[in-house]
Amino acid sequence: MPPAPSVTIHLPGPLRAYCGGAAQLSISARSVRGVLEDLERSQPALYRNLCDEAGVVRRHLNVFVNTDNVRDLEGTDTALASGDVLTFLPAVSGG
Amino acid sequence: MADRIVLTIGTKKGVFVAEAATPRRRFELRGPSGPGVPVYSTLIDTRGAARMYASSCDPFFGMKVLCSTNMGRSFTETKSAPAFPKNDGRTLTNIWSLEAGSGRKELWCGVEPASLFRSHDGGDSWHIVAGISNHEHARKWNPGNGGLCMHTIIRDGNRVHLGISTGGHYLSEDGGETFTASNQGVGAGFAPDPYPDFGQCVHKIARHDDAPGRLYMQNHGGWAEWSGPGGPRPDIGVLRSDDHGHTWRSIAKGLPSDFGFPIIVHPHSADTVYVVPLEPSTRSCPGGAPAVWRSENGGTSWRKLARGLPKKQSYFTILRDAMDIDRLAAPALYFGTTTGQLWIGREGGEQWDCLFDALPPIYAVKVAVV
Repeated sequence: MPPAPSVTIHLPGPLRAYCGGAAQLSISARSVRGVLEDLERSQPALYRNLCDEAGVVRRHLNVFVNTDNVRDLEGTDTALASGDVLTFLPAVSGG
Repeated sequence: MADRIVLTIGTKKGVFVAEAATPRRRFELRGPSGPGVPVYSTLIDTRGAARMYASSCDPFFGMKVLCSTNMGRSFTETKSAPAFPKNDGRTLTNIWSLEAGSGRKELWCGVEPASLFRSHDGGDSWHIVAGISNHEHARKWNPGNGGLCMHTIIRDGNRVHLGISTGGHYLSEDGGETFTASNQGVGAGFAPDPYPDFGQCVHKIARHDDAPGRLYMQNHGGWAEWSGPGGPRPDIGVLRSDDHGHTWRSIAKGLPSDFGFPIIVHPHSADTVYVVPLEPSTRSCPGGAPAVWRSENGGTSWRKLARGLPKKQSYFTILRDAMDIDRLAAPALYFGTTTGQLWIGREGGEQWDCLFDALPPIYAVKVAVV
C-alpha cells in the first residue's frame, strides 16, 4: 500500500491556542476520518474542539477539503489526495 | 473581616465580574471573559482562597469549564470538561450548574442532557455519577423548551437534591450513590397525569441551613386554566417541602402567577423566600411591571417588592439562575434580565436600582462576600 498522502490543515484563530499557536498542520492521512484519528492522538486538546465525545464532528463546525464542504462529498469518509487542504471553520451565526 | 461583594454574571457573550465595597455604592465591572461564548452557570467558590468557575458553552467547539484565581481578572480553562463515555450515546450539549462539593477542591456539575458529574481536583478531571446519569428514568426524561437540563444541585450532608427540567426532583440519601424520584405533590401541567412519579418541569429548588428538611421549589406553573385531560392544576408552581423533599405542598396562594424561574431564600431567615412571578405565555412579569415577591412566613402570604423597578412596558425574563442574595446583615438581592440589565434590591428587596443596563442577555448571577 502506498504511503498516505500528505495534507495541510488550516485552523481558524480560536483553535490555534489548542495546538501551540499553529495556524496550520501537516498530516498524512487517506481520508478526513484519518485526519481526525491522527489529531485525536497527536493533538487531543484540538481534537476535543473539533469532535464531541462520540467522535462526531461538532454540529456547527464545517470541514472543507479544498473548496468543498465534506457534507457535499462523502463526509468523513471523503478520500484525500496529496496536497489537499483541509479547513475547519465554524458556521456563521447571528446574535 | 470580609469587605468586598463580588458578582459573577453569566451572559450570552461571556462572563462578567462586578465588585464593590460593602456599602455597595459603586460596582466595578470586569469582562467579558470567555468572550462571545454563552455562560449558563457560575460558581464563586469561597473554600480557601476564592476561586470563580464559569461554564463556557461554545456551540462551535464544545463545553469548557473556566476558572479564575484572581477574582475574575482572567479566566483559564481547566484541563478538561465533563464528557460522556465515548460509547454512551449521549453527548454534552450544555453545562447548567456548578456547585462546591466536600473538601477544598470537589466540584459537582449538572449538564444537558440531564446528568451529573463530579471532579475531585477543581475541575481538571471529571467522572460521571452513574446513580442519576444512568438512572432507569434517565432515557425517559424529555427536554423542555430550555433543553433537558440538570440545573439544581443541593448538598445537605448525605442528602443530595437534584432539579431536572424536565425530569423532576431526585433525592439521594447516600451521598449521591443512588437517587430516587421524589415528587409527591409536585404537579405537571403538560401531561394527562397531573401528578406523575417523575417528569415534572422543576425550575429551581432552594433551601436554608437553619431549617432542616425544608425546601422551596419553583415548578412550572401556569396551568390553572387547563381544560384538557386531567383538568386544571392551579397553584402547582410554587411549592414547599418539610420532610427533605419526600412530599411537597403548594404555597402559591397570594401570588399573581405561579409560573416563574428563580426561587431564593433569605440568608438569615429560613422563612423568608423570594420568587419572580411571570406570565407563562410571555415569561415576563404581569402587566409588564417587574416585581419580586417575598414571603416572610414560609409561603403563607406574599408581598410585592417593586420600588425602583419599571412600572410598565418591561417585558424581560429573569431566568432560573439569574437571581441571588448576598449575606450581609441587611442583604441585597441581585437579578439579571434577558435584556441585559443587572438590578440590585437593597434592604432585602425594598429598593431597587439598576447597576448595569446594557450587558448581553443574562443567564446566571451569583454573589459572594469575600
